[in-house]
Amino acid sequence: MARLQQSPLIPDLADIWVELRSIVVSGEALKDIGTTLGRIVLGFTLAFAIALVVGLASARNRFARFFFEPALLLGLTVPGLVWALLCVIWFGLGIKTSVVAIALGIAPALAVSIAHGVGAVDPQLIETAHVYRLPLWTRLRYLWLPAILPFLTSGARLAFSLAWKVVVLVEVFGLSTGVGYRLNSAFISQNVAAVLAWTVAFAVVVAVIEFGLFQVIETRLRRWKREAQV
Amino acid sequence: MSGNIRFHRVTKRFHRPGESAPRPVLENFSLDVAPGELVALVGASGIGKTTLLHLAAGLEHADGGRVELGPKTPRIGMLFQQPRLFDWLTAARNIEIASEAAGVDARIGRQLLAEVGLDDYASAYPASLSGGQRQRVALARAFGVEPNVVLLDEPFSALDELTARKLRILLLRLWQQHKPSGLLVTHNTLEAALLADRIVVLAGTPARIEATIEVDRARQRDAEDPLVFQRHRSIVETLERAAA
Repeated sequence: MARLQQSPLIPDLADIWVELRSIVVSGEALKDIGTTLGRIVLGFTLAFAIALVVGLASARNRFARFFFEPALLLGLTVPGLVWALLCVIWFGLGIKTSVVAIALGIAPALAVSIAHGVGAVDPQLIETAHVYRLPLWTRLRYLWLPAILPFLTSGARLAFSLAWKVVVLVEVFGLSTGVGYRLNSAFISQNVAAVLAWTVAFAVVVAVIEFGLFQVIETRLRRWKREAQV
Repeated sequence: MSGNIRFHRVTKRFHRPGESAPRPVLENFSLDVAPGELVALVGASGIGKTTLLHLAAGLEHADGGRVELGPKTPRIGMLFQQPRLFDWLTAARNIEIASEAAGVDARIGRQLLAEVGLDDYASAYPASLSGGQRQRVALARAFGVEPNVVLLDEPFSALDELTARKLRILLLRLWQQHKPSGLLVTHNTLEAALLADRIVVLAGTPARIEATIEVDRARQRDAEDPLVFQRHRSIVETLERAAA
């Protein structure tokens, strides 16, 4: 259909392929996707640290739950665009902007996942750990972590997709590197093929992360279920 | 080393739905369990048997009085109605983490698995074991901490009678080897007569000791033993009297 239209607004697959090859061969894809991913990792790490404290406290303490609940609800409903705009205004141009914007954008979703995971831990196992006086580290490793990991991996998936949307917005508004910046450049020059090429390149990376990281981790964590069924 | 358990004038109250003031389940309740002794607590449902067990385990705190376990920092093994194993850990690891926490050589876990007849299942996950096998692992875990005190909360009530019989014999054997002190909560009066040295029949609200029945017979015991059966009859008659 694109070939029939002969319009630059609807590029055909060959045009997209040419753009894609160009950004890969020139090394731009590796550099800018790497930059964007680096920002996501930093933002994710900060968000995880915040979410762990908030999620654990909310699940284990009634007052903490009342205290954090309004903030979490607000955080879940605020669009990533708002965080991106606010952080550009607050922090200007720099790494801090993207990291804080991502953290603010995804921490609520991660905290809710962690709180649900902690809430789902079997109270009978908590009692058992208490009777056998399992040390804190043993409880974390053998009780809390295995119980909350399914919630954590699904939360991480959701957080990763949110982080990608937030970081692209920050890069569009206030940064001169990264996939968002490249998308914005392509948009300004009305190069639809380039927009789609960058989108495809990042989608490939996301797929690699999904199948090469999240699913591998999940398979390893669920090994006991598989072996139990044999 | 055998421990001991002492409830001294213990009071415990619970809030029940629809009631403004908490109701005492136990009031000034006292009971001593001597080193190496196994005391069975029998009585109607909700009378406070499990509360006593939870107080001894530190899962509940008394509103008054004292609950003392000896020695100073006793190692506690506990067997619940359900095995309560960590599903994501192998049978051996389930025992080892408890042994390690108690400061006991984790190799004892393997020995105990062999003693409970699960030597070949060390690397099996709980979900792949039968109910009886899982409870054997839980039994091995309870004794894997080299306990001073063992608390048994209706440990065999969820099993079929044949499996429960085998596990009672296994428990008696392990009790003879390790000689801890313990409390057994059960609704099975024959089980109480077979396993315990002393049976405490509880009645009323708050719970009081209605009767104490001694089983002056050395372990191993046999369910066919006339004395065990006679004690079983005594428990049933006391319970019927208390209910009337």
